[in-house]
Amino acid sequence: MTKPLRRPAHFRRTFGGPSVFGTMPAVVGVALLLGLALPWLVNSALFFTLMTQAVISAILALSVGFLIRQNGVVSFGQAAFYGLAGYTIAIALKFQAMPVEAAILLALAGPTAFAFLLGLVIVRSPGIAFSMLTLAVGQAFYEVLYKWRELANGDDGLAIRLPRQLFGLAIGTFQRPSSMFVVSWIALVAATALLNWIANGHFGRLTVAIRENEERARFVGYGTIVPRAGIYAVSAFLAALAGVLIALYNGFVSPDLLHWNLSGSALIMAIIGGARVLWGPALGALVFFFFKNVASNYTEHWPAMIGLSLIAVTVLLPTGLGGALAAMAERRSRWARG
Amino acid sequence: MLIQVLNGLVYGGLLYILAVGLVLIFGLRRVVNFAHGSLFMIGSYVGFSLASQGYFLGGLLVAIATLAVMGALLDWIVFRPLQREYQIVTVLVTFGILLVLQDLAQSIWGKDFLTLQPPSYLAGSVMLAGSEFPVYRLMVIGVAVVVAVGLTIWLKVSRIGLYVRASSVDPLTVALQGVNTNRVSAIVVAIGAALAGLSGTVAAPLMALSPSMGGYILIDSFIVVVVGGLGSFSGAFFAALLIGEIHNFGVVYVPWAASMIPFVLMVGILIWRPSGLAGVRA
Amino acid sequence: MFALEGRGLRRRFGGFVALDGVDIAVPEGEIRALIGPNGAGKSTLIDVLSGRAREWSGEVSLFGARIDRRSVQERRSLGLARSFQRTNIFADLTVLEQLRLAARTSENDNAEEVAEALSLSQHAGRRAGDISYGDQRRLDLALALIGRPRVLLLDEPAAGLSLGESLVLARLLKDLVGRWGVTVLLVEHDMEVVFSICDRITVLHLGRTLAEGTPDEVRQIPEVVTAYLGTAMS
Repeated sequence: MTKPLRRPAHFRRTFGGPSVFGTMPAVVGVALLLGLALPWLVNSALFFTLMTQAVISAILALSVGFLIRQNGVVSFGQAAFYGLAGYTIAIALKFQAMPVEAAILLALAGPTAFAFLLGLVIVRSPGIAFSMLTLAVGQAFYEVLYKWRELANGDDGLAIRLPRQLFGLAIGTFQRPSSMFVVSWIALVAATALLNWIANGHFGRLTVAIRENEERARFVGYGTIVPRAGIYAVSAFLAALAGVLIALYNGFVSPDLLHWNLSGSALIMAIIGGARVLWGPALGALVFFFFKNVASNYTEHWPAMIGLSLIAVTVLLPTGLGGALAAMAERRSRWARG
Repeated sequence: MLIQVLNGLVYGGLLYILAVGLVLIFGLRRVVNFAHGSLFMIGSYVGFSLASQGYFLGGLLVAIATLAVMGALLDWIVFRPLQREYQIVTVLVTFGILLVLQDLAQSIWGKDFLTLQPPSYLAGSVMLAGSEFPVYRLMVIGVAVVVAVGLTIWLKVSRIGLYVRASSVDPLTVALQGVNTNRVSAIVVAIGAALAGLSGTVAAPLMALSPSMGGYILIDSFIVVVVGGLGSFSGAFFAALLIGEIHNFGVVYVPWAASMIPFVLMVGILIWRPSGLAGVRA
Repeated sequence: MFALEGRGLRRRFGGFVALDGVDIAVPEGEIRALIGPNGAGKSTLIDVLSGRAREWSGEVSLFGARIDRRSVQERRSLGLARSFQRTNIFADLTVLEQLRLAARTSENDNAEEVAEALSLSQHAGRRAGDISYGDQRRLDLALALIGRPRVLLLDEPAAGLSLGESLVLARLLKDLVGRWGVTVLLVEHDMEVVFSICDRITVLHLGRTLAEGTPDEVRQIPEVVTAYLGTAMS
């Protein structure tokens, strides 16, 4: 058997660690207030259009990042769950099979359940094999939806027959940028809180242990397949949540939502923001959107800038921007405490 | 019917040349090169630049040379310094390079689709079993065969070929033999990239050129490499044939089911035999 | 009935035969040492008995019940635990976190007791990757001791420790084992450690059992002395 290579020191610091940003309820409260206040403070529809997209992408990025953090693996196929959620709603409403609220629940539960079952099989595959598997599964779904015209209308996409009301709210709430921003922001904060709850509980610790040393986890008495599949399911749930939001917002789904380009973008956001800190990927999404929408006004080369940022972060700053910020804050608080 | 099969061989041939480059790079550096599709794309564009002026053969040679240099640089600047890191690090870096190369292509050649006509001495068709078949496409099949034969001979006969075959099995031991692995790797990665360039130029008259043209064929070549068995050159050959035919028949007969088959194959093999991809760390 | 029994254990790596039909039977409460020159098959035997090895033949029984087909987790729940020659801990968790994690899989939450006994309490909140090598070795052992296993397989627990540290560890082990009534099979190179705590010794050589008996009996067998070339035995 060949000797395993030395584990690079800087990569060891990429994972784990408690949050230094105060207690959870306080943080959640402040975050929610900020988000709710924003529409009163800013009056630009364009701003909210961008921010809504950024926030929804942030949820997708969280999906990728959480998987990296807890299972130590990279998925190139999260967009599949994202797109499938949207298509579930679109197809359910196309055939008028159920009320829209039920369709949304199905859109959340379906991909999650599928991911769990798939996870039971594919989490056994190590590192790169797992990544290639997620790529293959994601593209397979893309291809199916792209080519299956009778069901999903192929690459023309499907319009969603949205009703007038949704969960008691007028449908316009989900189509106007400023109000949809609030909805998405609440979802983002809730998602982050959920992840934080999971990460700090037994399940979160266990999966980190398995990530660290799968063999010893088994010798200490734990099955390792089910917990890892569970994490994969949670990350799929997040992707599905983002997918539901984007579908409601756009009122439209197309196969592009499942393409690996989108998975790749989400991965880039997660890496740039850093998976070490739970909200890192969300920060990465904001940075990515800044490059894409602001920098693109000044230069055509924003994709190259993103590519270079990815390379720079991967090699020089493995904990990502979020990790770097958290480290700075920790040093500050230690200094303040004397 | 024969025409369908031949068309499948054309795509399969392009896939083979591309996939073999991936196998070479993986065999020596244990890197899954996500930038390979963009190397293909750059090869297309470089070839196009000269071919559109009438110098098809010149374009081909320049593309191959350019990509060889790019490959050597890639190995020297990226693969060599990162060889002790986790595999995912190099994967992510090549992913970043993919984006940079796409942007580069867009800057130089623009976003619009470009088309290229085959050179006049390869234009026209021949009659085969009652149907017309373009001469150029036959040439593509021929090129793939030449690459396959040439590669097999080179692997068997040359010293570098020996190291390549040995490295696929046990890179650490090869390094211990006192071989200058860095020089050998640079050469092999250069060859792998050059093959991507060859495939790209040869493919140019058959598809529309765009900065993102490498994406689709990259996925298919990953499938070929995995299905053929990581590190196996003959495996890549047969897998490319298979995937090429499925791709072609699928387009005609049952589109959505056929497009699933390569992925199902890939998933099946990865689950059954993941150790091939896990590389040195396994 | 023996606490731990292995019959006709065989394991090959390609052309190399690591275990060539080894029989071993350890009665309950005994501390058995497993010694032999490098390559004798000691770690392989531990791997087979603990369920870590994948291709092997023979029979393994725990308190009379066959456990050949049982997974590593199942063996653990039946009371078979092991430590590792190359330190096998969770580097990114704190010492206390991982002991607690280990404790959750059994009814016996003796995490604090074990930490205390192995002088790990002082490091409770520290990241396991940051503590000293000696502490990490003890943590590796502690993870095996959590939950009061009935049978302990220890693969060179004192590897890399100084002689003084090794003897302290040995005494600690003997003390805990005596209190809990645990059966121990211990791979060890250091003869001082072996003689200080072990009831009986099994000697392995080239994948076969060379000798078995009390320390005094074994040290007098000529083949054993030869096998060791006089380096370890004194």
